[in-house]
Amino acid sequence: MTEYSRMAKGNFTATGTTQVINLPFLPDYVELWNYSNIKTAANNSVARAWWDSKLLDTGNNPTMIEIYNNTGAVVFDTIQTNGISTFSAGLSFQYGVVNQHGSAIGDFAINKAAAAQITTTNAHGLASGDVVIFANLAQTSTTGMQQIAGIPFVVTSTGTTTFTIPWNTNQSNYTAFNTATSTNNVGSYKQVLYPALYAPAVSIISALTLANPMVVSLTMPGNYVVGQEVAFRLPSSWGTTQLNSLPNTLIPGSPIYGYVTAVSASLTTPTITVNINSSAYTAFNSNQVFASYPGEKFPQVVPVGDINSGGWPYTGGALYPSPQFWNGQGNVLLSSINGPGIQGAFSNNTSQGFVIGAGAAAVDVSAAVTMIANTNIVYWHAYAHDIGMP
Amino acid sequence: MRQAEDLILRDYIVSAASQINAGGGSNGDNPTNLGVSDFSLVATTLDTNNAFKFMSGIEGMDRFGTGPVRSAYFMLASTELQTDFDGLTGSGFLNQWNYPTNASALPSEYGSVFNVRILTSSEAPVARGASANGNDVYYNPVLGKQAVTHINQDSYSMNLIYRDPYYSGMLAQNATLAVKFAQAQAITQDTAIRNLLCTRLSGLGGP
Repeated sequence: MTEYSRMAKGNFTATGTTQVINLPFLPDYVELWNYSNIKTAANNSVARAWWDSKLLDTGNNPTMIEIYNNTGAVVFDTIQTNGISTFSAGLSFQYGVVNQHGSAIGDFAINKAAAAQITTTNAHGLASGDVVIFANLAQTSTTGMQQIAGIPFVVTSTGTTTFTIPWNTNQSNYTAFNTATSTNNVGSYKQVLYPALYAPAVSIISALTLANPMVVSLTMPGNYVVGQEVAFRLPSSWGTTQLNSLPNTLIPGSPIYGYVTAVSASLTTPTITVNINSSAYTAFNSNQVFASYPGEKFPQVVPVGDINSGGWPYTGGALYPSPQFWNGQGNVLLSSINGPGIQGAFSNNTSQGFVIGAGAAAVDVSAAVTMIANTNIVYWHAYAHDIGMP
Repeated sequence: MRQAEDLILRDYIVSAASQINAGGGSNGDNPTNLGVSDFSLVATTLDTNNAFKFMSGIEGMDRFGTGPVRSAYFMLASTELQTDFDGLTGSGFLNQWNYPTNASALPSEYGSVFNVRILTSSEAPVARGASANGNDVYYNPVLGKQAVTHINQDSYSMNLIYRDPYYSGMLAQNATLAVKFAQAQAITQDTAIRNLLCTRLSGLGGP
């Protein structure tokens, strides 16, 4: 009776305590073996974990684990929250809960700094590489940081109640913001769960280093690759309008494009280097006026093409590796379920699958026991069964 | 079965086209609701970029309540914006029933504003609560003729697959119904496409 069951298996080397696995289906059962911990037993480490979508314990959907406890004995335990879970990105943008005055995070404040730091009253729960979007950042009717509302920002988690965004708010037109003191306690942010539906994508520019070549800082990674052809759209208030594709004063009618020559390894301070000599161009100005935010237009970089940079390089494993993308979950590139693709070509990045979370063991609390840790070799199986009872 | 293709092309355009936030509306948001100046701006931008218009104009006729229609680009918009378009009647919006003849109007065409003819769909992309003031942001791609292309790879197009129960399972309990297509999208001229982002003037008030 397995007419429509789906099964998948795989392995990875962990880069942290969380991992996202893309699949062509939504699993209802997942099991994993931490080979590194099985091979070399260590106290307070997980050897095996399994999870079923139908297992509910007072509303919770826990993950079961088999661990070496603090004396090295093999015992069973659970991860009650933030264990294994499924996700489905779909075709539309999805958001997490709205965080604002009175919500679980309490209040939040944004300081004047480069990079701006957000401080929440309670734990924000974000990881580096997550993406957030702000709204209603009006400290008063005429001051605040509304200029950056509506821009998706990749975050760097600097503590349980602090994170930074790649934007310089330490400028004259920005006023420090705090939902505890803002008029009517307005102000909110929410996580953009799957910000990279397609890749590469239009990105908003946070800063420009005018040089030859030019360095472009982005508010979140755009999944660009070396060899990508890009165009710029800079409304006049942002300064560097010489980068705009048109009008081209040298070759009328011919758009001005540049090629990406380097992409930053860091996904939380994303930059690309473009082979345009901008040394003599007008300086980039992100010190936008608060009052100008209604209808404010953002500076953008847009992927427009590609030189033939070939397929994704073979690094062992699959002979024709899937394209790898950053998809707004964590700060590593993930394999998609798509077939072999050309680097930099547009690709459908919608995804579903499961997430191995960073939740800790519920009983053995002598150390924070998580399912995976950096450099662990992990094998997994995922299933979607024909029948699930009840 | 063509809807899947449309959705993929829709998201591709949303993700890849450069954006203009509407600023001609009056709701004080970013982007604002659509004002007639936004239509003028986006058409002017595309004209400056030498984009080709999709439709030639419709000459005026001696019919009550009608007016000539300019040659135009196509804008793909959400049906939720139709109340806002109606609100622009008299300011530049012309419903397709006020065209001199709607013989050339597409079934989904709602009307036109200046050099933009508006097609509406319930599947148009919306980012809920994503504006500066926390309102829904509507993505309205405005396209010139040479902006995008859709390639059926190897002339494969789309297959509707049906396998009756006898062939779908050994117990002949379930049939299989699926669609399969091989396609690619490309922006062939990025300067001929602009994604006009906007919010709505007011709530819809529910069904």
